[in-house]
Amino acid sequence: MFQRWWLQYQLKRLVKNSKLNALQDHYQYLLSQLDSPISDIKLLALDIEMTGLDSKKDQMVSIGVIPIINAKIQPKLAQYKLIKIQGTVGQSAVIHGVLDRHLTNALPLQEVLQWLFEQCKDKVIVAHYASLDLQFLQQSLVGAEKQSFALFAIDTLLIDKKRELRKHQSLNTSSLRLNACRERYNLPIYNAHNALTDALACAELLLAQLSKMGGIDKVTLQQLLNKH
Amino acid sequence: MDNSELQPIFDFMRRLAPFDSLHEQTIKKCCQELTISYYSKQQKLVNVDSDEPQLYIVRSGAFEVTTQQGELIDRVAEGEYFGFSGMLSGEKVVNQVHILEDALVYHLSAKMFDQLRANSHSFDRFFNQAFAKRLRNQGSLQHSHISTARITHIMSRDLTTITADATIHEAAQLMSKKRLSSLVVVNQDKLCGILTDRDLRNRVLAKGLGGDLLVEQIMTKEPTVIEPNALIFEAMLKMSENNIHHLPVVDQERPIAIITSTDLIRSQSSQPLLLIGQIERQNSLEALIQVSQKIPDLLHNLISSDAKAIEIGRILTSVTDSLTRRLIVLKQKQLGPAPMAFCWLAFGSQGRQDQMAGSDQDSALILEKTPSEQDKCYFKQLSEFVCSALNECGFPFCPGNIMAQNPQWQLTLQQWQQQFSKWVNTPQPSALLNATIFFDMRGIYGDLSLFTTLQTTVLNKTKGNDIFLAALSQNALQSTAPLGFFRSFVIERDGSEVKGIDLKHKGNALINDIVRTYALAAGIEEVNTSKRLESLIEKSKIDKEVAMNLLDAWEFIAHKRLTNQGQQFNNTQPVSNYILPDSLSSLVRHQLKDAFKVIHEAQGTIRLKFLRQF
Repeated sequence: MFQRWWLQYQLKRLVKNSKLNALQDHYQYLLSQLDSPISDIKLLALDIEMTGLDSKKDQMVSIGVIPIINAKIQPKLAQYKLIKIQGTVGQSAVIHGVLDRHLTNALPLQEVLQWLFEQCKDKVIVAHYASLDLQFLQQSLVGAEKQSFALFAIDTLLIDKKRELRKHQSLNTSSLRLNACRERYNLPIYNAHNALTDALACAELLLAQLSKMGGIDKVTLQQLLNKH
Repeated sequence: MDNSELQPIFDFMRRLAPFDSLHEQTIKKCCQELTISYYSKQQKLVNVDSDEPQLYIVRSGAFEVTTQQGELIDRVAEGEYFGFSGMLSGEKVVNQVHILEDALVYHLSAKMFDQLRANSHSFDRFFNQAFAKRLRNQGSLQHSHISTARITHIMSRDLTTITADATIHEAAQLMSKKRLSSLVVVNQDKLCGILTDRDLRNRVLAKGLGGDLLVEQIMTKEPTVIEPNALIFEAMLKMSENNIHHLPVVDQERPIAIITSTDLIRSQSSQPLLLIGQIERQNSLEALIQVSQKIPDLLHNLISSDAKAIEIGRILTSVTDSLTRRLIVLKQKQLGPAPMAFCWLAFGSQGRQDQMAGSDQDSALILEKTPSEQDKCYFKQLSEFVCSALNECGFPFCPGNIMAQNPQWQLTLQQWQQQFSKWVNTPQPSALLNATIFFDMRGIYGDLSLFTTLQTTVLNKTKGNDIFLAALSQNALQSTAPLGFFRSFVIERDGSEVKGIDLKHKGNALINDIVRTYALAAGIEEVNTSKRLESLIEKSKIDKEVAMNLLDAWEFIAHKRLTNQGQQFNNTQPVSNYILPDSLSSLVRHQLKDAFKVIHEAQGTIRLKFLRQF
C-alpha cells in the first residue's frame, strides 16, 4: 500500500513540474494505470548500447525499442535508432557491434530523445537492468532541460533478483544477466548483441516472468514499477 | 538489412520449413507481422480463440493437442505448428492445446497465413492436409535415371506400319524409302506382327524366295511387346532375354512405336542390365558370389541417383530373380533335367518385387506330382544348392525357414491348394500371421503354369471371403504407425516414446498388409503393392484418393528408408531399417508424420470395411 501511495505522490509532482510535454503525458499515463493489470497496459521494452558504463562521461550509441500491446510483443512496431556521438565508439564496438562508420547517418542525441519520449507518452518502459539505461537518459535530460527528472520502469533484472533471493541466500550477479535469466524460463539464447535484439530478449523475458507470477492479467503495474 | 528488423526472429523463421521456401522479402514480412507470446506450464491450457484463428509457431517449449475427450492427436515442439487445421478446414477449433513445457510462441494471423498459401504453392502444400498434394511431384523424386526412365521418354512417335496382306516387295520399298530396319505389321490397327531386316535376309533372300510373298508369310507373329509405361531397363531385359533387337510399343493392343536396341544403347548403358548380363554369363558359384558383391554398389548408385524407391525395388528384385534362375540352371547342368515339371516360387519382398538391402530369401517349390524317393533326392540337392548359394551371395536364409530347401515347402500343386484352403477356410489370425507372406507369391523359374493355376485357385478362394478377410484385416491392424516425432523421440499412438523408428515394420509393411487385404478381397493377381493399388483403382475396388495417398506414403517412407540405408552404407555402418528422428529435417519430419497419418486412416478404413468395426 505504501508503494502505491509513494508512486502516486511522486508521479503527481512530476506531472506538475515537468516542462517537457511528452514526459508529462508519460507520467500521466503511469499515474492512470497504476492499478491496471499489465495485460491492459502498453509497454515499451527498451535497450541502449553505450560507449561505456559511466553515464557522466560515456555516450549512448543506439537505442532499440519494441512494444508489448495486448500482452503480445509487436515486432511490427519495433524501432532502432543510431545516435551521433562525439569522438569514437572505441573499444565498445566489440560489445555492441556498432562501428564509427555506421554512425555517419546517425541522428543527433536531442532528436532521438524527442522521438523516444514521444514513444513513451502512452507506454511504460521495460528494461533489463533499467537503472543503467535510465541513468543515461536522465543524464542527457540534464543537458537538455538543465534539470533532473525521476524516471520509472519495470526492471526484468530486479524481478528475477527478487525471485532468486527467495530461493537462494545469496546471488551470483552473473546469474542475473539477461541470457542467464532467459535460460531459467526456457527461452532461446540470442547471440547477436544489438540494442533491438536485447530489447526483444527483455520483452520476452518479462512475459515469461509475468506468467510465472500468476499471469499477465493478474499482476498490476504498481507491483512492478520502480523509480530510478 | 533494415535496422528495425529483428535478427533472432528472422534467423529462426528462414530456417523453418515451409517458410524456408519463401522469398527473403516474404519471410521478413512474416517476421514483421507476427506477434509473440509466452505460455507457462502453470496455465495448463492455451486459450485458443476460435473466432480469431491464427497459426501458432512454437519457438521454444512443447505442447500437446488432444480432443476434448483427451485423446492424443499431436505433440508439438520447437519448430512445429498448431492451429492451422481450423484455418484450412474453416471449422471451429474444438481441440485442446495443453502446455507441456514453458513456451515462446509466434502467432501469424489467419489473413497472413491465407495470403502465404495463396502466393506460395509449396507453403500451401505444406499445410494442406491433402497428403497426396503434398508429397507428389517432390523435386527430389523427379530426377530421371537410365534405370528408372520410361519407354515413353525415348520412343519416337512416328510409327510406320504395313498391313499383313502387303507384299514383301512393298515392305522392302517402304523400309528402304524411310530408312527403317523394321516395320510393324497391323491388321485393322491392331498389332499382328513385326518384319525386320533380318527376316528379309534370313527368311526371304537366303532361301531364294521372291518379293511377291505376302508380309504375313514372313513376319514374326505375336512378337514380344512392351508398354509405354515400362522402364527402359525392362525393355533391355526383354531384348536380352529373347535375343531380339526390336520391340513394338503397344498401348491397349494398338502399336504406337517401335524401339530398337540402338535406341536403348543411345540412352546410355545400364548398370543393372550389365550386372544381370554378367550373372547370366557366369558358370560357377564362386563367380556368381563375386558378381553379387556388386549388388550393394548397384543399390547405392540407384539411391544416389535418386531413383524412385518403387523402381529400385523392381530393379533389385530383377537381379535376385536372375541370380536365382542362373543358380537353378547351373545346378541342373550338373544334376540333369528335373524328373518332373516344377516351379520355383518367391514369396514376401521378392514376390512383391520390393526387395531392398538385406532382404532374406522366401521361396518354395511346386511339384507337378507326388515325388518318388529318387525325385525327392533330386529336388533336395537342387534346392539346397540354390538356397545356400543365395545365402552366400548376400541373401540370408529365411529365419522362419520358408525356403525351397525345406521339404515342408516342396509340395505338389494339389498339396499347395490344400494348404491354401486351410489358411483361407479356417483362418486363425495367429496362424495366418505367419502365412501372409505366402499370399505375395510369384513364379520365378520352371513351369509357370503351375504357379498360375495355384494363384487362380487361391484368388478364387479369397475373393469376397468375409471370414478370411476379417482375419487378414485383424492381422493388418496388429501394428500401428507412430503418431509422429517429438524432439528426439518417436511418439507411438498410445503416447509412449521410443528412440527411433523401424521404417519397414512401422511403415511399408503396414501398407503392404492393407493393400494385400484389398487385393485378395478383389481377387487381383498382382502382388507388387503399387501394381495392386493401380489394379484396385482400375477395378474401382478402392477409393482412388485413399489408394493414391497410400502409394505416395509407401514411396515416401521407402525412399526415406533407402536414403537412410545409403547413409549407413556410406558411413560403413550396418544397414538397417531403423531411423532416428534427430537425423531428419523439420520438413521430412512433417512429411513422415503425414505418411503415418495416411496409414492410420487406411487402417481405420479396413477396420470398417472388413471387420465391420466402428
